Formats: sequence, structure tokens, C-alpha cells
Amino acid sequence: MISLAHFQVLAYILFCLGIYGVLARKSTVLVLMSIELMLNAVNINLIGYSAFGSFGGSHTALGQVIIVFVITIAAAELALAIAIILRLYRERRSVNVDEIDLLKG
Amino acid sequence: MNDFALLIPEFLVAGLAFFILALDLFLKENWKQYLAWVGFVGVVAILVISLFVESEGQLYDGLLEFDEFTKFFRIFFLVIAAVAVVISREYVESKLKYPGEYYGILLFTLLGAMLLASSAELLTAYINLELLSFGLYVLVGYERYNAKSNEAAVKYILLGAFSSALILFGISQIYGILGTTRFDEMSVAFSALPSIYPGLAVGFVLIVSGLGFKLAAVPFHMWAPDVYEGAPLPITAWLSVASKAAALALAMRLFAEGFFTVFGEWQPIIIVIAASTMVVGNLLALVQKNMKRLLAYSSIGHMGYLLMGLAALVPIVGDGTTTEKFSNLVSNGLLFHMVSYGFTSMAAFLCVIVVYNKTGRDDISGLAGLSKRQPLVSLVLVSALFSMAGLPVFVGFASKFYLFNAVGGQGLLWLVGLAIVMSLISLYYYLMVARQLYIESSEDGSPISVSFPTKVVLGGLFGVMIVLGVYPAPLMAAIQRATDAIVSGNLLSLV
Repeated sequence: MISLAHFQVLAYILFCLGIYGVLARKSTVLVLMSIELMLNAVNINLIGYSAFGSFGGSHTALGQVIIVFVITIAAAELALAIAIILRLYRERRSVNVDEIDLLKG
Repeated sequence: MNDFALLIPEFLVAGLAFFILALDLFLKENWKQYLAWVGFVGVVAILVISLFVESEGQLYDGLLEFDEFTKFFRIFFLVIAAVAVVISREYVESKLKYPGEYYGILLFTLLGAMLLASSAELLTAYINLELLSFGLYVLVGYERYNAKSNEAAVKYILLGAFSSALILFGISQIYGILGTTRFDEMSVAFSALPSIYPGLAVGFVLIVSGLGFKLAAVPFHMWAPDVYEGAPLPITAWLSVASKAAALALAMRLFAEGFFTVFGEWQPIIIVIAASTMVVGNLLALVQKNMKRLLAYSSIGHMGYLLMGLAALVPIVGDGTTTEKFSNLVSNGLLFHMVSYGFTSMAAFLCVIVVYNKTGRDDISGLAGLSKRQPLVSLVLVSALFSMAGLPVFVGFASKFYLFNAVGGQGLLWLVGLAIVMSLISLYYYLMVARQLYIESSEDGSPISVSFPTKVVLGGLFGVMIVLGVYPAPLMAAIQRATDAIVSGNLLSLV
């Protein structure tokens, strides 16, 4: 039987994988994918709480409402990020994080 | 019953943004320089309207809350936006393409900031934060063919997206355990809990670190100097004031209304962040060669002082006892220092913009001999730097004195001591700039001309810095009304 704990464990694992990806990947595109992974972990967490969590005996649909917003905003964020990364690629012919080093000090 | 009259200023800002975007399509190339004035007149008109608009009530079942706090921030953002639009004018004309979209997106970020100050629910706050951030991502990378600007935009959007994922996971944890995301219901739910669950602590820490990114607090500050350096200068100015003030407004409302009943849990975290932010910001500023990076680190240092105020925003007095009287002094000091930092920072950036427009240099040695080439700009810049350092007469002294005094009264004397030492250290790097301005001389001694509107803004900001430093009473009265709104709400929910 699937319980709230299953949702939570899956969400935590995905979220941590996402954080690892953001810190360890070289390509900015892969960093973006890792951020998407984190956002999906949020969604799974919210589904779990929305379906199983009983707050004083009453279920709320709030979690599912939040998910719709998260998906929409994530799509917008991704589109914007890809556009900016494309711009960088046109200037540099590279999207690697460790080669973006013009600004430092 | 929704009373949409409460949202009139926000509707007008959105309308103005769309109007400028649409007007841009129909204007000939040589007419587009006047879009800045359309934006400026529009923002000033909205400012006047919002002074008279009714601002008490709730919208959308309490998702947006309107009170004196909202009104204060709304007016502050509109004033700063009006300044930002005027100081962008010459820069956009000479360095950027597509002025219509520039001003349009700038106004959308203004809309996000204004709405953020009235959000009283976590998801609403998140959406408004993203409205603010998305516009800033675009504006930071607005110099499309400048590699630095592109790089700054990539760094900003990757870290911004990462931080918003952190905030979202925090929100999901809070929702999962408390069953609500509204601030007022959160504080009630918190006090009903037998103890703080680990899951709740995870949620709290993630929200704080996400906000830390937006505020550029140490250890989440790494993006700030790079983004400040790469972004177009007027956007750097706007970013350093509006986005931070908006995040601070959210943090104040969240801590004072949502997390209020669990202050014991969050205070140590904020204290550590505040202390490290002011130390790191001020020490790293010492070695900077670029004026934008210097101001970036100095703004990180100022965030440290503000976070110190946030840490003291608890109903505990010096001897460790809890009082039901929430300290109004601290929240007043927070808002006062934020306003003072906002105007001072705009003044400093405007001076750097004037010099950059004419000489194309934004390093500190590029300012050498400015007192001979352009005495007015030099005077305003040195006053802004002295105000940031906290020297008397200027507003920075009054606000720092007020804030430090209030925090000291909350029993955090060692933190205040640290802040005072850091203020002294900051005087060193501000004086290094002043030395370039007044003692060093440059090879190129040709005078720098300043246009009339810029002179008016320079004079206005200089006047604000002096007047608020000498006679802050009217501002303090407005601040008192603003903080009463979020503080009195708490007292009711406590009893």
C-alpha cells in the first residue's frame, strides 16, 4: 500500500539529486535540467500531501492548485533561461559553467 | 466581496507597461527617446493617485492584504522607479537598443515589487517574486552583444531559478505540515503544534535560504557582484534597491505575521546570516577595483545591517523575557535604513552612470579628478558614500543610529558592536573613492557635461539625503503607521 511516506521519500531523493546536479554539472543546460528535477520533486511532495495529508480531518485541494502554478512558472522560467543561454552560446560557442569566467574579482 | 479599487495603482502600472510596449510599435526610431518621459510622467501620476487611493482591506480571500505597510512600500517603489526611469534615459539612448521593451519590462518588475509588498500568502508571494525576477533576468542581459551582460544574465537566472526551487520546496513542506499557506493562518497553526517537526524546520530553512539568495545574504551572495558588474548600470541601480527592498518587505511580513510564534527557532539562523553578511560584504569590498563591484559588496554589507534588524524582530527584551509588546523600534529602524539605503544607493549609481556615459569607465581610478571635471556629480557621489558609511548630517547616520540603537535594545549588543566595527571598516573603502575624486588628478581634464534633467535628479537626491538626515520626523511618522499595520496584527493573534 502506497502511503505518504513513499511520496515524501521519492520527493526528497529527487530534490537532493537536483541539488547535486546543479552543483556538479558543467553544462548550463544540464544545470537547468537539474533545476527542473527539483521543481518536479516539489510537485510530487505537494501531490503526496494533498492526497494523504489530513489537516484537522479535512483534505484541501490547495496542493494541487499550487502544482498548476508551479508547472506554469517553471515552463516560463525554462523558456527564458534557454533564450539567455542561447544568447551566451552565440557569443562564446560554449555553454560550460567553468568557461563563464569573464566576471570575477 | 472583492473591492478592486484597492488594486488601482497596480492596474495602472500594468496598463502603463502595456501602453509603452504598444506605443513602441507605432513610434518612429527618432521619437523613441521620449518613451522615457512617457514612463516617468506615468509613474509620477500613479504615485500621486496612490497617495489618495484607499488602502485598507483584503482581496481574493486574503491572498493580498492592503494596509499602511503596503502603501508605504508602494510609494517607495514608485518613487525609486521614477528615479530609475529618468537615470536610464541617457544610458538607454546611447548604449541599448529597443527602449520600448526596456521601459515596459522595467515597469513589470515594478508591478512585481509592489504586489510582493501586499502578498499575505506564500504562493502569491512566490508568483510576485517571479514576476519581479523574470523581468530582472531579461533586463540584466539587455546588452545583447556584450559578453559581460550575457554572462551576468546566465549566472543570475541559473541561481535565481535554483533559489526559487528551494523556496518552492520550503512552501510545499509548510503546506504539507500546517495545511495552509496564508501568513495569518500559519501563525495560528504554528502555535497549535506541540513541537517543531523536522519537516517544518526543513521548510523554514529552505525558505530562508531562497530569500537569502534574493537579498544577496552570505553565503548566498556569490551572484551579486558578478551580476552588478555585468548588468547595464541603471539596471544595477534598480536591482540593488527594488529587488532587495521587495524581498525585505516579504521577509518582514512573513516573519512578523507567519513565523511570528516560532521566533525562537529562526532567530539564531538569521543572526548567523546577518553577522557573516556584514563581515564578508565589508571585507571583500576593501579589495575592489571596479566601482560597480565596490557598490555591490557595500550593498551586501548593508543587507547585513538590515538582516540584523530582521533578527531582532522578536518580542524578547534585553533580559530574555517575552513581552506581548512587539518592538516597534526595530521594524521602524528596518524601514528607515532601507529607505536611506535606497536613496543613497540611487544617488551613488546615478553619479557612476553620468561618468560612464561620458568616459566609458566604471573602475574606481576612472573617477580620478572628478571634482575638477564635474564638481556637482563629485559632491553628490561623495555625500552618498559618506551617507553609506554613516557620517552625520547625511541620512545614513540617522538611519544607522536608529537601527543599531533599536537592535541593541533587543539584547543583541555584540551584533551591534560588530556592525559598528564593520561600519568603520567600510569608511576606508568609501574614503578611497573620495581620495580619487578630490586628491588624484586625471590626464584627461576635460569637463563632463551633465544634462538638465540629470542635474535636477542629482540635486533632488542630494536634498533628500540631507533633509532626511537632519529632519526625519515626517518620514518616521509614515514609517510608524506602516509598521503599526504589521505589528498590531500580531498582537491580536497572540491573545
